[in-house]
Amino acid sequence: MNIIVIGLSHHTSPVELRERFAFAESKIPAALAQLRASGVAAEAVILSTCNRVEIYAATPLPPAKAFSELTDFLVRTGGAAFAPSAETVYTLAGPQSLRHLFKVACGLDSMVLGETEILGQLKSAYELARHHQHTGAKLNKAFQRAFHVAKHVRTHTNIQRGSVSVASVAVELAEKIFSSLAERPVLVIGAGDTSGKVVRALFSRGVKNIIVTSRTPENAEALAKEFNGRAIPFDDWAAGFDKIDIAISSTASPHPVLDRAKLEPLMKLRKHRSLLLIDIAVPRDIDPAVNFLENVYLYNIDDLQAIADDYLKLRKEEIAQCERIIDEKIKPLIEPAKAQAPTDDGALRVARSARNPS
Amino acid sequence: MYSVFLWRKGFRKDDRVNYLLLLAAFVLHTTAMLKRGFSINSCPVNNLYEATLFIVWAIAAAYLILGLFQRFRFLGAFASHVLFFIGVFALMPALDAPPSASPNTLGTLTSLHAALILLAIGSFGLSAIAALMFLTEEHDLKFHKLRAIFSLLPPIQRLERVMNGLLLWGIFLFTAGLAVCPFLLKQKYGVWFKSDPLLDYSIFIWLFYLGLIISRWKFGQGGRRFAWSTMLSFAFILLTFWGFILLSQVHHP
Repeated sequence: MNIIVIGLSHHTSPVELRERFAFAESKIPAALAQLRASGVAAEAVILSTCNRVEIYAATPLPPAKAFSELTDFLVRTGGAAFAPSAETVYTLAGPQSLRHLFKVACGLDSMVLGETEILGQLKSAYELARHHQHTGAKLNKAFQRAFHVAKHVRTHTNIQRGSVSVASVAVELAEKIFSSLAERPVLVIGAGDTSGKVVRALFSRGVKNIIVTSRTPENAEALAKEFNGRAIPFDDWAAGFDKIDIAISSTASPHPVLDRAKLEPLMKLRKHRSLLLIDIAVPRDIDPAVNFLENVYLYNIDDLQAIADDYLKLRKEEIAQCERIIDEKIKPLIEPAKAQAPTDDGALRVARSARNPS
Repeated sequence: MYSVFLWRKGFRKDDRVNYLLLLAAFVLHTTAMLKRGFSINSCPVNNLYEATLFIVWAIAAAYLILGLFQRFRFLGAFASHVLFFIGVFALMPALDAPPSASPNTLGTLTSLHAALILLAIGSFGLSAIAALMFLTEEHDLKFHKLRAIFSLLPPIQRLERVMNGLLLWGIFLFTAGLAVCPFLLKQKYGVWFKSDPLLDYSIFIWLFYLGLIISRWKFGQGGRRFAWSTMLSFAFILLTFWGFILLSQVHHP
């Protein structure tokens, strides 16, 4: 019995194609039952997320035959009018299929490298199949092992740490300065796209008090409304600045809107409480000299981008270590299989779907 | 020395080597304490040297237990420096005074005074560690270092609160410890106050810490300046306390 996987992911196909083959969660138990009844799989798990649609199966058939039948199944149940091309679908058997499962569980195959959401989705997919008794000894062992490896990788490497977008880096910085973000008042100067993203990220971490100001009052009102905040006239933003803990600036002003001379007396009013300034405007809105003031932390777009890039670089460096762990942990699963079926070449071959789009 | 490199690397989970080095040191320290204890047939906490080393041993033990959890293992980078400096303090001349021939029976007041002062100094020490963490993280945040967000250090605002809280506790305990002095002097010399280098020094330390807290409350002094003051004050205590102990007539009649 071979463990195989067939699927489409963000690596191989665009969303327009993936959505055609996606499974609604409510339909997965029936699809699994159908798959087992057809005889192509003795055990099966279907993973369907926004970034991937995959079928993991323990099959008594030779891999090539099983892949062909699974492709038909995907087309049939997905309701797609055509079969996916060889470039858009991947088929893996034997150790490669297990290795792929482990990589997916660890977030190594994800769009955002190292993200952990996929582990939860994989667990849900497995639980759904197990609950309806579509898994057995083979897949149970493989999935349990994959979850264990994902946990191990998360604990022993830095693959999931850090943010790779400017908005989430800004939030992480805020969390390194303030104990809790919930009570921190945030002032948004200029209601642009990027500032909207940063505010969205802060809002998702519990920020409640959001004040927006813009030279275009309608933009300020719209952004404030989105986050239950309040809009204030652009000329008034300095008035309540002593109560602000985080300021995000993204105006189109050709000159700095905040400089050292303006901020120094405000810091005295704030009794030197920490202040995080995020300047995402080009040209810059905040004079870099304010960073020399005590308790002021100024980050411009390049600083944030540099941190995000460093994070990404660091994550990529961690991949080698994660793969070493996976190789180590996969051995106990592969070796008994090798001992049982040493001549099964098909189980070791990585296949691509032979079918072309119709 | 190794933990100095950890500072450059940032405070991450993987400082296993530092943990093992501290574990090895702890084993040697325990062996030495046991040998000393057996040689004098009592618990080795009879003078300032032994008491200081006992504190070092207790801090190391606490860290080794905390370090079992990977999330807290980075604390070793701070603990090793503190342990080293307290260890150097313990080696200062004349702290390892030979025990007196007659058994030293400490009165309740003397024990209370010693315990309160030691706990206060411990609080100041922990506050200094929080200050050191604050300064490290504040520097990284100011200079946009990646390790500022990659490290496991708590937010600087929390560190500032911890620093302040420990300082307040330290002052409270120190005040209580000093408040016992007149009763001790009355008991021993029949006077409520007697000028003594260590007592004068202690009053100076008390006033200094009080000034630090008042300046924070009154003038909103916080952040880097407050952290530096907290750390340097404790370094000053470590470097000078032993000298005033030696000069004290009351403690060494």
